[in-house]
Amino acid sequence: MAPDLLTLYNYDEFIPAKFEPWMRFDQSPPLGEKGPDFPLTCLDGTETRLSEVLAKNTYTIVEFGSFT
Amino acid sequence: MNALADRVADQGVGSIFLYTHEAHPGEHYPHLTSMEQKFKHAHDLRDVLGVTRPILLDSLDGVCHRAYGSMPNMTWIFNRSGTPLYKSDWTDSNSVANAIDYFLDVIQRRRGKERLAPFRVERLDFRNQDREAFYKGLERNGPKAVREFQEAFD
Repeated sequence: MAPDLLTLYNYDEFIPAKFEPWMRFDQSPPLGEKGPDFPLTCLDGTETRLSEVLAKNTYTIVEFGSFT
Repeated sequence: MNALADRVADQGVGSIFLYTHEAHPGEHYPHLTSMEQKFKHAHDLRDVLGVTRPILLDSLDGVCHRAYGSMPNMTWIFNRSGTPLYKSDWTDSNSVANAIDYFLDVIQRRRGKERLAPFRVERLDFRNQDREAFYKGLERNGPKAVREFQEAFD
């Protein structure tokens, strides 16, 4: 059975075959056009959306990353 | 990035850390298989690594992260209506500070009645590449993370 998206995205090994498919910056949304909106979860478990977070300030700096 | 967030917070600039998949899974911080685990890792990002900005979790399948290019540590700057004004494929606080200061100046220029129109610019910025610190981070993830990075790049 082909691995599903969850397995592919949350790769278990840092090997090129598993991490390189996610290096897709060249396909990211263009500047100057409204970006896509998605649900996000706060650390306290509260549900929100990216749009709700961005609406709170004139500008918002969003750093993507993880502990590792 | 924490310091930058603090510097610009009172100028109408918010900052968040959007939690993605584990870029370098190891024995101590393995690849994610549940939101419960993701919450635990995100708490450690705050409590162990000292990220003071609000941390928001993407879904386990990384739908937001994937839509925005799925690089391991990128930074975007958005305006209030959700339009991205800056995007970088890695994160460097000097680069982000340079950009946000420029955008804050745009507000002043508009207040000065200057007529402005947006345009796109491309630029090559430079980030610090402290290998020793990076490897210390990998060691914290576990020996597997160190070994796999060495095999991939060194």
